[in-house]
Amino acid sequence: MPDQNTDAEAALQKLGHRLRLGWAKKHPTPDKSLESVKNTVREQWEHEQTASRTSKPAPSPEKDRGPKPPEPGLEP
Amino acid sequence: MRLAMDDLIKLVRTYRLTAGLLERQRLAEAIFRLIEPDLRFFVFSAIQPPAAQDVLQEILKSIVVSLPKFAGGSEKEFWAWSYRIARNRLNDHFRKQANDRLQPMPQDELLDLLDASEQAEPLTAADRHDLEYALKLLDSSKPECRDYLWNHYVIGFDYSEIAEEQNLNYDNVRMKIGRCLDEAKSLVA
Repeated sequence: MPDQNTDAEAALQKLGHRLRLGWAKKHPTPDKSLESVKNTVREQWEHEQTASRTSKPAPSPEKDRGPKPPEPGLEP
Repeated sequence: MRLAMDDLIKLVRTYRLTAGLLERQRLAEAIFRLIEPDLRFFVFSAIQPPAAQDVLQEILKSIVVSLPKFAGGSEKEFWAWSYRIARNRLNDHFRKQANDRLQPMPQDELLDLLDASEQAEPLTAADRHDLEYALKLLDSSKPECRDYLWNHYVIGFDYSEIAEEQNLNYDNVRMKIGRCLDEAKSLVA
């Protein structure tokens, strides 16, 4: 005699598989959903760019000074 | 090129390591083409369309934002993680709309979906018999049991996911689902 529990479980799992299959056929992913995903990716990327710019260490005073003036006595 | 579900975790791993915007958008599109239909089914089988669309958008957005933080390494873990986010957003919705509790998908809609599934894979006589039996099992169950059977067998949540969601322990959920299945079987027999 077949295992009734397994039959019932297998039938319910088959139902899940079939419903998802039918759902995907009847309701393909709309472009609107994918556009919204891509917009969120862009917003997050822009946020990361801003955060990484603001978290970069301030340039050291050494670098900020610009070219060193010529040593005294070396000017023409 | 059509991507298979096996590619999912590779896409997620690559996404986490990708810095360029266009490449990230391309990967995100490929990932969401694979996962959106199942998430949409999950949401639309729980709440009615106008609200369901908004909740789905919130879920997709939350997954995108959290994607770089996903720490798992397998497809199963990725699905579990995505559904955890989906359940949280759904619960946020239920907290705001107390009278919009889980609504079972109407029987005629389920039958429509089963018909539509034939376009992807033909149904054998044995399949039809099994599906009819499964629908009867759900139909004969009390609402609480129907939810357990639906979430575990149809949506595919494992015991631990349902336990986390219901704030119960694993064995308690396992026994509840076993009892619900036995009860449904005895009513259908």
